[in-house]
Amino acid sequence: MNKKGLVIRLTALAVVIAIAATMMVIGRGHTIYFDNKTVENYQGNEYKAFERVVVTVKDEEVAKLGKRERGMATWIGQNFKMILEITEKKGDEPRIEEIELTLPYNMDGIIINLPAYLAGLPEEAWLSEFIPAPEPEEDEEDPTIGDGLGLEGDLTGDLGGDLGGEDLGA
Amino acid sequence: MSSNKNTPLGQRNLESMHNYATPLGRRILELVRNYAVPIMFIIICAVCIPLSGFSTSYLLNEIITRMGRNIFLILSLLIPIMSGMGLNFGMTLGAMAGQIALIFVTDWQIWGIPGVVLAMILSVPLSALLGLMCGKLMNMAKGREMILGYMMNYFVGGLYQLVVLYFMASIIPIKHASIRLPRGFGIRTTVNLTNMRQCLDNELAIFYNGVKIPVLNFIIIAVLCLFIVWFRRTKLGQDMRAVGQDMDVAQAAGINVDRTRIISIIISTVFAGFGQIIYLQNIGNFPTYTAHSQIGMFCIAALLVGGASVEKASIGNVFLGVILFHTMFIVAPKAGVAITGDAMIGEYFRVFVSYGVITMALIMYEIKKRRARSQGGELLALAQKEGGAAS
Repeated sequence: MNKKGLVIRLTALAVVIAIAATMMVIGRGHTIYFDNKTVENYQGNEYKAFERVVVTVKDEEVAKLGKRERGMATWIGQNFKMILEITEKKGDEPRIEEIELTLPYNMDGIIINLPAYLAGLPEEAWLSEFIPAPEPEEDEEDPTIGDGLGLEGDLTGDLGGDLGGEDLGA
Repeated sequence: MSSNKNTPLGQRNLESMHNYATPLGRRILELVRNYAVPIMFIIICAVCIPLSGFSTSYLLNEIITRMGRNIFLILSLLIPIMSGMGLNFGMTLGAMAGQIALIFVTDWQIWGIPGVVLAMILSVPLSALLGLMCGKLMNMAKGREMILGYMMNYFVGGLYQLVVLYFMASIIPIKHASIRLPRGFGIRTTVNLTNMRQCLDNELAIFYNGVKIPVLNFIIIAVLCLFIVWFRRTKLGQDMRAVGQDMDVAQAAGINVDRTRIISIIISTVFAGFGQIIYLQNIGNFPTYTAHSQIGMFCIAALLVGGASVEKASIGNVFLGVILFHTMFIVAPKAGVAITGDAMIGEYFRVFVSYGVITMALIMYEIKKRRARSQGGELLALAQKEGGAAS
């Protein structure tokens, strides 16, 4: 291989790696949970939950939260944007806030405490990771169980089943 | 015609029909002979569509969706046919590579179109490696590529199971418990692709009279079609065609036959990996250990239904095949209910048709090959006879 050919190939490889890296950043998915809960005793202060918060993400209303309620939305990428319609106390006029956040890359599920965030507290006060509750013990799932010949499920020639998911019968 | 003494009666009748038919009749006969499978499927569809009772918009919607998700996979079969390697049953290897890439992307939580693109990029080295292995083995078994490719599915399928069932989450890091088996290693029997489900289909989609047209999918398919058309005209494409026509002549002309054949299988396997990713993003989940197992069979059946043969296939065959094959798949169960009162009859019908059409194509290929050989022999004998008489 001549030098020019090698350079072209290495450049192509670098471009592909760059595209892959870009996809990893811009395609990182997060599940975001919004809490409208009172933060008690943060450095001696209390930040009360709002009467009502309406959360809009990508022009879609994803949650209407009363006190002590939690909403959820999904987001792709790290630059998260949402619009909040906040009613602080009963009878108040709702105010609208547009919020932009940078989400941590390594968290799948992110909990944002809205009263703490809107009070301008540091990140540790309003951001935490959502850790799913451990699933109940399931029966051991072993795909290799069979007669050892791998014939099960194929004997009927059920192509729909083999294709797995494609509703061939539709 | 002394040779007729030994030929079966049916074949003799067909030959005599062929000899005495008018030019138009001969052309029709030739057309029927060459396109027997598509004609048969057109008739089946014409009978079954009214019986199924589906509305036009439903039927169109289903066919267009299936075109969007299947055509890329089937197009991956064209290049090995061009280089004379027949129907690439080894495309399943690419499908496995695509699935492994999807498992990683799911674990890394890369969603939507970036997830699909990343999965495609990740699948390339694995597909290329498997394609290289497949191509090298096929070069060792020239003339038996199809059966070798078919057996390779089982061989590599076993390796795939070993990797996915035992190496993943034990040696290969897998973070998310949602895709790990409860025992702590291995991947669950179903991988959920909810976060990238139909992301390609929905992007730029157009809705017309209740029919969803996945424009982006068709753009991707169009790009691949253009690539295939362009590729045929390149030096490598011409080499592949030369190798496909006659390996000895191509070798004598200075073409590196083995290398050309390996490249054609690598290209096919890489495209099959892409195709499987497009296919699975449409479905939205996949059974980890079986999703790839029948995909080659289905794609090959669809291509053959479109009028392709073991040695000749075009982009037109792919489109016609997908339309006819999947129309039959959609309407057969309902038509089965209308005719027999039992949907299972339709199910069995479409299953035996799928396998039957492949069997028929292989038999027809062999008959054609033998006929061409015997005709060649007859012509040679005639030429020798004439040469002898002249001298």
